[in-house]
Amino acid sequence: MLNTFQQNAHAMLPKATHDEASRQEFVKSYKQFIQQSVLPGLGPVFKARASKRYEQEHGKSPTDRRDVRVAMVKDPYFQHYAAAQRISQELMWDATVDSVDRQLVELNARAKELSAKSKAKLRIPEKFDVPKYISSLDIHCMPGGYVREVVKDDVSVGAVYDRGVFMYSMGYCGPNIDDMGRSVCNYLKRNMKGFAPKRILDMGCTVGHSTLPYKEMFPDAEVWGIDVGAPVVRYAHARAVALGQDVNFAQMNAEKTEFEDASFDLIVSHILLHETSNKAMPRVFKECYRLLKPGGVMIHADLPPFDKMDLLTQFILDNETWYNNEPFWGAMREMDQYKLATDAGFRREDTGFTTAPMAILEFAAQSAEGYSSTAANEVADRDFTAGEFAPGGGWEVFIAKKQEAA
Amino acid sequence: MSAVKQDAAPRAIRYSKGARPHFYAESGLDHAMSMIAVLAQEFSVLRDRLDSMERVGKKHGIDFAKEIESLTYDQAALDEREAARQEFLRRLYYLATKEAQELAEADTNERLKQVVESVGKE
Repeated sequence: MLNTFQQNAHAMLPKATHDEASRQEFVKSYKQFIQQSVLPGLGPVFKARASKRYEQEHGKSPTDRRDVRVAMVKDPYFQHYAAAQRISQELMWDATVDSVDRQLVELNARAKELSAKSKAKLRIPEKFDVPKYISSLDIHCMPGGYVREVVKDDVSVGAVYDRGVFMYSMGYCGPNIDDMGRSVCNYLKRNMKGFAPKRILDMGCTVGHSTLPYKEMFPDAEVWGIDVGAPVVRYAHARAVALGQDVNFAQMNAEKTEFEDASFDLIVSHILLHETSNKAMPRVFKECYRLLKPGGVMIHADLPPFDKMDLLTQFILDNETWYNNEPFWGAMREMDQYKLATDAGFRREDTGFTTAPMAILEFAAQSAEGYSSTAANEVADRDFTAGEFAPGGGWEVFIAKKQEAA
Repeated sequence: MSAVKQDAAPRAIRYSKGARPHFYAESGLDHAMSMIAVLAQEFSVLRDRLDSMERVGKKHGIDFAKEIESLTYDQAALDEREAARQEFLRRLYYLATKEAQELAEADTNERLKQVVESVGKE
């Protein structure tokens, strides 16, 4: 498949020179190549070589994903694969930082100017405690993480994230990187006909990639995106205006927001939970229950649990934990989300995992730049393959509905 | 966060917080592989730039791609090209040829060590 997917160049997105754009395109191609052509070799390498050596050395077969790691880290093929993955991530951020660094002052000014035009609120408190699971490491090796600022009212890490994530997702999430939000919206449209939330909260929204589709689908709703990073919500607020939307954003912690009890009809999150912690994740579920009105719905789109996956698959997925500054990636997959939901107050019969099919075919239908229908179909029709971006054709979502008032 | 200062020329953050893992037993190889990837990236950028030049030329009525395909080389051009390629290969194989020379001269790391020690003393 020739991946020529291109990002939508909205007014907040840093502009790239010819060579910067070329470096960035190379990273997208490199990632595509690693996932399509290097990753598939891990299976035979494990079976024919690494596991046999492990058996010789340990007198037993690998029995869990930790044993598979012990077997694989010594294998030269795996070393080249893992190094290439890591290096592609480093090249990706570095090539993005080039553009942002060059336009930093201009980007901050533009964010201020665009934000001033919004009818929606931007709330950033004077003082804010960033949780340790966010401040200890820069998640997915993004320089500056979600929270660091190099100047007052900075948005630079927001800009780095916006461009970098397009390459990380290799365009699979669409020209505005909103496939996850769009997919959940489509799911609601198909499966909960007549559901018309008046107030919607997107937790861990970063720059609002997934937040905006909710405003598009429910234009009369009051939509809020919250995140622990001030620079990313600042960027999100301005980016929404650049894309013609008025959406409220605030720096808040999803474990304990400042919103009132029973004040939202729909609470969503997209790839948030795996970036929290063992203690924070249950608190997020409890906070959702507190914030939902009776009959309200909580949907978390994140990584599927390790259950029923073979050992090599688990091991490949867990590489992000070790090599991409994703400390909770592996542990999160072992959390019992049903238990977290019932502990929070939801009834077991009102909870469940399901799949929200990817919206990528919509981008091809809209003739978005570079989204050929052939490539979009190939992305949509894939089976789940560990180590590839996006779990086959759909996102795994955990849904819980708060019981109606008696 | 409290150390945020107004700076005339603020710079974006380059490095992520969190120690980098090593993938190879020889830690130098991690650096080398990263360098090779950067070079491959730059090589790809150059190729893109040439492609862009051909496209710009075409917009102005110069079909670089076609002319390049039909270009013939006189003797001077052939000599220049071949000399440049040999020079490139010499640089690429710098360490290999240096090693061969050391072997030819029966030079060793042991002799280097002896020289360092003796020069330090004498």
